[in-house]
Amino acid sequence: MDADTALPSRAPTATTNNPVPPRQPLSLAARAAIAAGFVLAGFLGLVGLTLSQANRNRALSALQERLQNDAIAYITNFDVSRYGKLLPPDNSPDPNFSRPGSGLYAIALGDDGYRWESSSAIGRDFTFVSPLPPGERRFVGPVDTRMGRLYYFSYGVALDTVEKKSVRLTVMVAQTEDQLEGDNLAYRRQLEVWLSILGVMLIVLQFLLLRWSLTPLRKVASDMTRVERGESDHLDSQYPLELTGLTERINVFIDNEREQRKRYRHTLADLAHSLKTPLAVIRSQIESPGVDDASRRSGVLDQVRRMDELVAYQLSRAATSGRQTFASAVPIAGHAEDLVQSLEKVYAAKNVLCEFEIDEHAVFYGEQGDLLELMGNLLENAFKWAGHRVLLVAKERPSSTKHRAGLWLSVEDDGPGIAADKIEKVLQRGVRGDERVQGHGIGLSIVQDIVHAYKGELVVDRSPEFGGARFSVTVEHT
Amino acid sequence: MRILLVEDEAPLRETLAARLKRDGFAVDAAQDGEEGIYLGREVPFDLAIIDLGLPKMSGMDLVKALREAGQRYPILILTARGSWQDKVEGLKHGADDYLVKPFHVEELLARINALVRRASGWSKPILACGMIKLDTTAQTVTVEGKLVDLTSYEYKVLEYLMLHAGELVSKADLTEHIYQQDFDRDSNVLEVFIGRLRRKLDPEGTLKPIETVRGRGYRFAIPRTDGDDE
Repeated sequence: MDADTALPSRAPTATTNNPVPPRQPLSLAARAAIAAGFVLAGFLGLVGLTLSQANRNRALSALQERLQNDAIAYITNFDVSRYGKLLPPDNSPDPNFSRPGSGLYAIALGDDGYRWESSSAIGRDFTFVSPLPPGERRFVGPVDTRMGRLYYFSYGVALDTVEKKSVRLTVMVAQTEDQLEGDNLAYRRQLEVWLSILGVMLIVLQFLLLRWSLTPLRKVASDMTRVERGESDHLDSQYPLELTGLTERINVFIDNEREQRKRYRHTLADLAHSLKTPLAVIRSQIESPGVDDASRRSGVLDQVRRMDELVAYQLSRAATSGRQTFASAVPIAGHAEDLVQSLEKVYAAKNVLCEFEIDEHAVFYGEQGDLLELMGNLLENAFKWAGHRVLLVAKERPSSTKHRAGLWLSVEDDGPGIAADKIEKVLQRGVRGDERVQGHGIGLSIVQDIVHAYKGELVVDRSPEFGGARFSVTVEHT
Repeated sequence: MRILLVEDEAPLRETLAARLKRDGFAVDAAQDGEEGIYLGREVPFDLAIIDLGLPKMSGMDLVKALREAGQRYPILILTARGSWQDKVEGLKHGADDYLVKPFHVEELLARINALVRRASGWSKPILACGMIKLDTTAQTVTVEGKLVDLTSYEYKVLEYLMLHAGELVSKADLTEHIYQQDFDRDSNVLEVFIGRLRRKLDPEGTLKPIETVRGRGYRFAIPRTDGDDE
């Protein structure tokens, strides 16, 4: 595996100079800004609409009240002569009634076609106004007229004369919409200005908040860059609670990756060193005089075989992952069956009977390849040395302190077994592959390396049932 | 014994083919999976040696395809990566044995012998039919315990007949499995070999080990004594 690929991908800033940049999902800040922007716009828009509607209603009722007051003022200003004749008012409640075209008009209608108009209304067409029966009042608007859109209030009364005679009068006071709308417009303008200011302030505030709450993420990214540059070993700042789960796991990844790289480096160094010896031997054999070709040939072949084994051993050692942290549970049973079927095929001539005793809960937390190498090498050893019987046992090892149960795996055969005084020699872990005990193949060395990588234990003793060798592996899953 | 050898690396393929031919095998060599599947379906082989890392069609797929095509002969896979994952997968898909590269040619020859023997129902490396014993490991033949001196072609003919002891082996079969394609099949070399074998194995003419089935072929007539008498 390439060392780079094991690291989490680089911070987004580092990938922008890619020739064909992959379509990147929106940044968190942009998402929050867009969402908040829409919500804010909708909210402020609604607020503006509601407020301006409310203001319009209030202005309308204020208008009605004002027109009503003006109408009542005119009515009180009207007098009735002794002969029951209406006398026009001598003053107006608002100077605008006297200014032609002011937009504020008053019309009075009496009995027998009596009609009075305020100076502002002279010459205007108010034919649509009709007298109202006494006691009736009406607020109407907006009405399309020649003067524009109007709101008017008309009030019908009966005035008593001295002779107890009643004279009917209808006063209508009208105002053009312009005035109302002008007021409204000014209000709306102001509202818009203030709401916009508020919106901008909220967006700025929200942006600052977002920046503040995303700071830890940026911190993680910059720490990650420092780790990549080799300026730091881990993500070692303090992070908020929500991120610690992530950062701790990243740290574990970094550790694993570092461990793996260390293993590769060691394997490479071991390989190079261990190949030097056979190469030196070959060289001396070729160069030394007085050696006949046949023994030279066999000497070189010996060294080639040794180099073969060294390469095979170191290769499999480098492939051992020993990683448990994110490993899924590999069930033992299926893989054991595959292995045994394969071995039975290969060792068909021996007629070996392989029995299983596999706990269905027994699982191995690690790389599947490591499990296969572990069981494969132990089983092959057993098939090789067995008379006719091999037993594979896999059990769960319950653990009270850890959340994952451990594993006990043993392979025994009815072969000659290993004498007690030889066991230590067999298990002697060569510091380097070329120092291991000859004659046991590289299988056992690989098994020991895997067991070591998973911090397990390998025990060799005599099979209580079969009398041959028994190899047992215990792994505590962390 | 006719062997299919599928290996993409030319030096290894040529050395192996030469070595196998020297040991009396008929060898058809293919350099990729597609050529392998063509030959493997067409020619009645006794065994196939297949490298797992092949161009065009992987060795694993080739093994699968040959088995799906109904070919029953033993298959030995060669793999450069000695991982159990590879071995298990190869054996699961129909291979019968594996050898991790690099290997000793002697080891390969021993495996070939064992596979061919097993495929014809012999479980022991010594094929015993009455007084005649053929040691497939040492490639020697004894009659009543006395070593018989055979050339490698004579040995191969006898081995093939004894592997299929009791069965009728046609002349075409025998020729196909013993010789290369370019061999002149019309010649009577086979008759000569059989004649020589009969004289060497049975100089007095009492055992009559090889019987001629007129117009059809030969049969090794002495029944197998597949006991624990070695």
